[in-house]
Order: sequence, then C-alpha cells, then structure tokens
Amino acid sequence: MPETTQRDGTGGLVLDGVSSGYGAVAIVKGVSLRVGPGEIVALLGKNGMGKTTLLKTILGLVALRAGSIAIDGRSVAGLSPARLVALGIGYAPQEQPLFQDLSIRDNLRLALASDRLLPEALDRVFGHFPFLKDRLAQRAGTLSGGEQKMLILARALMLRPRLLLIDEISEGLQPSVVDRIAAALTAERAASGTAMLIVEQNLGFALKVADRWAALKLGEIDDEGGIDGTARERILGHLSV
Amino acid sequence: MLLLLDILTTAAILFVVAIGLLAVFGVLKIINFAHGAWLTIGAYCAVVTGKLGLNPWAALPIAFVVGAALGGLAEYVIIRPLYRRPLDAILATWGLGIVVGQLITLAFGRDVQLTPNLLSGTVEILGTGYSAYRLVALVAALVIGAVFALVIERTRLGLSARAVIMNETLARSLGLDTARVRLVVFMIGAGLAALAGVLLTPLTSVDPTMGVGWLIGAFMLVMVADTSFLALAAACLVFGAAQVLVSTFVSPVLGSIAVAVLAALVLRISPKGFSRA
Repeated sequence: MPETTQRDGTGGLVLDGVSSGYGAVAIVKGVSLRVGPGEIVALLGKNGMGKTTLLKTILGLVALRAGSIAIDGRSVAGLSPARLVALGIGYAPQEQPLFQDLSIRDNLRLALASDRLLPEALDRVFGHFPFLKDRLAQRAGTLSGGEQKMLILARALMLRPRLLLIDEISEGLQPSVVDRIAAALTAERAASGTAMLIVEQNLGFALKVADRWAALKLGEIDDEGGIDGTARERILGHLSV
Repeated sequence: MLLLLDILTTAAILFVVAIGLLAVFGVLKIINFAHGAWLTIGAYCAVVTGKLGLNPWAALPIAFVVGAALGGLAEYVIIRPLYRRPLDAILATWGLGIVVGQLITLAFGRDVQLTPNLLSGTVEILGTGYSAYRLVALVAALVIGAVFALVIERTRLGLSARAVIMNETLARSLGLDTARVRLVVFMIGAGLAALAGVLLTPLTSVDPTMGVGWLIGAFMLVMVADTSFLALAAACLVFGAAQVLVSTFVSPVLGSIAVAVLAALVLRISPKGFSRA
C-alpha cells in the first residue's frame, strides 16, 4: 500500500446509505461502505445476502433507491453503466460472465470503447495471464473453468480501471489458480493503485488480498474490520450457516 | 434449369426482404411489424424518384437513407420508451405500420402506382429467355448478404451488435452503449427494408398495403432462422424452393402460402428452427 494514498477524505468509492432491489423486493438496505484509493476491501457473506446486487447498484445496472454513491468525491448516482465504465470502473461479473461463442480476443475487445487502445491493453493483461496470448482466436466457451475466470479478470483489467468490482472470482477454482488470481490483483494494485471491492466466499483468498473486510447480512453491513488476528474468527462466524 | 433459377431468385428476394427484420429481431428482441410499412416506404421512394425524373437506380440509395432516417425517428420516439415492455413495443410497431400505410394513402391515394423499370428484357440462358431483373435481384441479395456478413464479422458495430444479441446485460456492464447499438441496428434494418421495397417494385404492384404480405413471409422466415443470418439464407432457399415447386406443379395459390405452412411445420418439429443446423 503506497504511503501517499489517502485513507481519509473523499477519495475512492464512498457508499452512504445505499438501498436498491428488484420490483417490490428490497435487497440492499442502507449500506455505507468506503473503499479508499488503492485499497482492497473484501465483501463477505452467505448466498442471497445482497452482495452481487450491491455491485450491480454501484455499476448502475440496478437502480439506486436511496443513499448516495460517490467516486473520488463525485456523485455517480443515476449514471448509466456506460458512463461509469468510462469513468474507470471495471467489473468482473459472476453470472454469465463471458460471451461463450466469441473469441478470447473479441471478449477482450469489448472491454474497450475503441480498437486503437487494444494492442497496449492486451500487452498489459498478457503480463498477468500469458496463456491468453497464444489463444486469442479460441472461443471463450472452450476454456477451462479456471481459464475462464482469468479471462474475466483480464477483461476487467483491460481499461486499467481505478476501481475494480469483482464478484466471486475464486469460486470453484483449484488453489493454484486462486493464487495466480491473487497475484494478478496485488500486482495490478501495486502498478496502478487500483481500488478493489471484491465479493467473496473464499475466506483464504479474501484474507490474502484484502486490507479490510465487511460482512453483508440480509442487505445490511453486519460487521466489518481490518485484516488482523481476529479477522478469520469473526468472518467465519458470518459465513457459517 | 429454369426451375432452379426460379428457386434461387425467389430465395434471393425473400432474403432481401427478411434480413432487416432479422437484424432488428436479434438486437432489439422484438419483431418489427412496421417492417412491411418500410418496404412500402421504399417502393414509394421509387415512385417519387420516377416522378422527379431521376435515374431509377437512384431510388436504391435514396430509399435506404429515407428508410434509415425514418427508422431512427421511430426507434427514438416510439420503441425506445417501450424498451422494458417488449410486447407493447411489438404492438406499437403494428400500429406504426398502420399509420404509415394511411399516411401513404393520404399522400398518394389508394391506387396502384407505376414505377420506372429498373431493368427490362430477358437474358438468354440455355436457349430460353430469363428475366434479367430477377438475375439482378439475385446479385443484389448476394451483395447485401456479403456486406451484412462483413459488417457483422469485421466491424466494431458488428461486434457490439453480436454482443447485445448474445448477452445484453453483460454488454451493458462492459460499458457498451446498448441504446445506441439498438438505434443504429434499427436504422439499418429499416433502411434495408426500404431498399428491399425498391427492389420489389418490378415484381409486385406498388400500393399502400403492398408490404403486408411480404411482412408475413419475412416474419415466418425470421422465426425459423432465429437470429442467425446463415440460417436465414438456408430458410430462404428451402422455403423459396417450396414456394416455387408448389406454385409450378400444384397451384400458385397454394404456393403463396407454402412459406407460412412450412414455417409452422418446422417450428412444430424443431422449436429452434434452422439456427441449430
């Protein structure tokens, strides 16, 4: 963590009393959370607690019903996903995350607004995941589960985002792949000072990459803290049934 | 041989008429029932071009531009506000088709219009004369199909359109301006419908309701083809063949409903139509 990064103030992502949901159902209820510049915060919780909906609300895919969302001091509530991505938010979704029938190259291309930036962006993500380089023409749907997850993350990194939203990237992966992904995230943060909000159920992975954690329960922040000696015990309490 | 040419040219005409509808169906996920009205608009562009004394072929680019511009307006004013209510949007396109038909009647009357001949005469093929214009229609279909394929496979717009067809939510979350993609594709679909309307003028009478029959056929073809334009080409060949063979050997009346009956049968047997082939 670079010393120059501001931990207080208005930098990074600031959620204040954020509520959202679908139809008559409220999913996220008054969540206040901050991810400082260059900070990695793990959002943990069991299935159905509203973690994914919170990420989608930040990205403008689900409408904000109450509260405010600011990025680097600027309110972004009500902006379209296109505007938010242009402002530097990268998103690695969990559900149907790839265009299965498109090539790896086209999947990566779609992260950029213009092909002019493609060679440079590709070079950057090849640095994290060299295997993509020789397989650009391969259909994304034919990759193994771990390779697909790495492609999802690579695509989110194409734009060199200042804020990265990651939804259960470690799900179902063998430990060696989880380690590669963790290494890519910390390397990207070191190189670009990227702030990250990572939704996780894999405690080991979360403890490894995050600076702080928060537990979401039924749409509300139930507990939060730094990554310290007590973190594992406390988080386990929130993840157990 | 002549039968084969008839089949190929019939398929070509079906393809030209249906491809704009297919593009709109894929990206906007609605059937544009105003497609027939845009065919009519295109045909009347040919009428106006003739009255102005311009070269008849000039009607093709004019119709494409007029069709695309009016299509853009329709998408922006009528279809976009109904984006979250697809059934209402489909109903709105049906109403729009009626309104366009009435406006054309107001402006030009109910009568059949005459258009200048794009190309007359016959070409000698294996000792018999064959309509030169039908061969032109075949070439036009091949050109339109090739350009369409190039745009879809090789351009940024084509990639964006494919992304929206495959998974619109994901496309949106990657920052694609999906509203813009929908607008542009609708404009292209409307422009292609108008272009097809011009190409139809030598083959059919031009009146305010001319688009309706073609719309039904195109609708059936798109249902069978789903969103794959190769499947559309295959469906046009099969159904065009059926139409020509039934018309030639059974009865022209049955031939004209062959497409509808066959499409219903195909969808009954295989709900995914030709797109899995």
